[in-house]
Amino acid sequence: MGDGSTALATARSRLRRAVPLLIGAVVLAVVVLVNLLSGQEEDDRPLSPGNPAPDGARAVAEVLESEGVDVVRVHTYEDAIEALGDDSATLFLNDAQQYLSADQLSKLTAGAERAVLAAPGERQLTALDEEFAVVGAVPVDFAGEASAVAAECSDPDALAAGTLSGNGTAYSGAVTCFPASIDGETGGLYITDTDGSVAVLGAPEILSNGLITDEGNAALALRALGSTPTLVWYEPSGADVASTGEGIDPLTLLPAWVDFLLIWLLLCAVLAMVWRGRRVGPLAIEPLPVVVRAAETAEGRARLYQDSGSVAHAAATLRAATLARLAQRLRVERSASPTEVLQAAARHSGRSQVELEQRLLGHTPTTNRELVLWAQEILDLEKEITS
Amino acid sequence: MVITGRLVLLALIGVVPVVLYPGIVSTLLWAGLLAAVCGLDVALAASPRRVGIVRTLPDGVRLGEECSSTMVLRNDSRRPLRATVREAWQPSAGAVDPEQFVAVPAGESRRMSVSLRPTRRGIRRVETVTIRSTGPMGVAARQVTVPAPGVLRVLPPFNSKRHLPSKLRRLRELDGQSAVQIRGAGTEFDSLRDYVRGDDVRSIDWRATARRQDTVVRTWRPERDRRVVVVLDTSRTSAARVLDEPRLDTGIEAALLLSVLAERGGDKVHFLAFDRRLRARVDSTAKGSLLGALVTAMAPLDAELIEADWSRLPAHVRSASAHRSLVVLLTSLDAGAVEEGLLPALPALTERHVVVVASVRDPRLEELSIDRSTAAATFRAAAAERALLDRAAVANQIRLLGAEVVDAVPADLPPLLADTYIRLKAAGRL
Repeated sequence: MGDGSTALATARSRLRRAVPLLIGAVVLAVVVLVNLLSGQEEDDRPLSPGNPAPDGARAVAEVLESEGVDVVRVHTYEDAIEALGDDSATLFLNDAQQYLSADQLSKLTAGAERAVLAAPGERQLTALDEEFAVVGAVPVDFAGEASAVAAECSDPDALAAGTLSGNGTAYSGAVTCFPASIDGETGGLYITDTDGSVAVLGAPEILSNGLITDEGNAALALRALGSTPTLVWYEPSGADVASTGEGIDPLTLLPAWVDFLLIWLLLCAVLAMVWRGRRVGPLAIEPLPVVVRAAETAEGRARLYQDSGSVAHAAATLRAATLARLAQRLRVERSASPTEVLQAAARHSGRSQVELEQRLLGHTPTTNRELVLWAQEILDLEKEITS
Repeated sequence: MVITGRLVLLALIGVVPVVLYPGIVSTLLWAGLLAAVCGLDVALAASPRRVGIVRTLPDGVRLGEECSSTMVLRNDSRRPLRATVREAWQPSAGAVDPEQFVAVPAGESRRMSVSLRPTRRGIRRVETVTIRSTGPMGVAARQVTVPAPGVLRVLPPFNSKRHLPSKLRRLRELDGQSAVQIRGAGTEFDSLRDYVRGDDVRSIDWRATARRQDTVVRTWRPERDRRVVVVLDTSRTSAARVLDEPRLDTGIEAALLLSVLAERGGDKVHFLAFDRRLRARVDSTAKGSLLGALVTAMAPLDAELIEADWSRLPAHVRSASAHRSLVVLLTSLDAGAVEEGLLPALPALTERHVVVVASVRDPRLEELSIDRSTAAATFRAAAAERALLDRAAVANQIRLLGAEVVDAVPADLPPLLADTYIRLKAAGRL
């Protein structure tokens, strides 16, 4: 009568068997949760105020914080506008990918008491009140270290810094500091407009942890960024790209039932997996015998011969085997010497004994190629004699 | 609980209301409907726990033949049982249709038969039977795995049986044959008959001839009631495969042919399977058919991965047969194993018994030894020649110790061993 058990007992035994799996699932879930909660993936973007690597800018941000400047990191355009809404805030815009449009840039600079733009693109500068232009990249002097550039302008920040290290893009504008000459034109690495409210930093690398202590980099950075109680450190992302024209969310074109249909099909798929995945009972276990081919040892020995290049040894074995077979076939005594066997072979085949001895005993191959040829030759010889 | 394809189909039909009345309500309603149908079906299914199982299995089946495992399923519940029943046979049992649909009305029994075509000799087992009882709507089922152990003994195929008639004929020819070359000890006087041309003149019985007008010769018949001890080596060397058959199985074929032949020849046969200890023993003096007893004893034999201890063999042989016997060792002639194990133990056997060492030769070695097309093949040929030379040397040593050696490829070993037996018997050496 069946196994005499009850549904409860079965459920209990199944639960017991599933315990390791359940524990594993719980551990996995905990690991995933912990990873999700600790959340922040490591900040490794260049010139990010949270990045402690040589190309990060955590040093500047920390120093500014300790000096009483409130450094606010923002990542979206709306947040930046909102953060700049407070009075007397400096904007630092690090838009290496040039996501922002010229309009957005001009609005941002208008909202800020002071704006420092890190190497903006030419396109982004067109809507600013004053004229800024890109002159070109400062040529890199591969011969030696990057030479320091002197301020050579009236801007107090630049004068305080004195010299600046690093390369970058030269710009032209109202006040040109740290001048560099490119193909006859002259531009500077630090440009401000006439009242100093907008500054373009052509060499933003000077803010990086690795370069901040060189020359007058730190002085320029702290003075340019730390002149107001609040610093809004804005790093735009792709989401800030201003859409042109009236965009339509493609999802709104779909009929209303699509979401429910997808959910339902997912449910159906899960059901189908459960249907197909359930076995009719456990697998049957069978101990299988070992599989060892008898000739395996011979093949292993052959590879040993070959790897160690034992041509002479292989030749000796082949010769001995041939002689043994000839002796058996020609009914020579088992203990007979090779010469006696060949004597019988010569009598039987009509070939001269000297020739047989020369071919079988006299020659010992030394290379693989000779071995193959000689082995084939003695095999043919053996066939000829015994046939 | 198990769901079926019908439930998935029902779920897919749910696409219609979900599309027509999009919203959380219709989705939840249909999901609830599915759950309700499932629950109802499971509740209405016959309990797979209240199924009685009685299995009938044959005692044994020869490898290569087909048999069937018959189960009688009795439904003790009050609902009709519609179930998929699976018998969990081990794969080598070769179950053709282990999973079958069975409908058993309440309180009745039905027979279910699973065809088995085993692919390997030995003991094949079944531990469990799984019953998946489907509800009346067929959308969900209850599944229970019931322990129902069963054992099927897969016997050796005895393919060498085809050699038996010819060998028996040769054995009978020995009967009444005049002892031409073999006068002397070991042959038994049978009868006198008239001389016919061709008889050896040395067998003429002059005294009987003097009493009668005609020339009379004595005839002899081979000795009877001699003892043959067949020892099958089940140590590690018997696991090696020659032509995709373990040496052990070839040895079993040879042992079967020899044992049956010797029994028909009027001799007593003792079979021992041995490595470090006795694995199986069959004596022809026991009641019942020798062949049946042999195959039953041989079926569960497997090569053990240990070295044989031949020093214990003489004691086992003595316990099987106290008299002078023909001892046939079915083993391998691998240089190392034989030199270490068999050779030191052989003199103790040869001084009391006639010993034949039979071994399977690998035809692959000969194939390797004549292929000399490339460098790798030539090295292989050299290694194969080395193995063959070692083998010949070992066989020679065994011969020097006074034993006979039968070394043949798998197909030839059983008949050659039988021939050796017939030759020894004819020569009166038993």
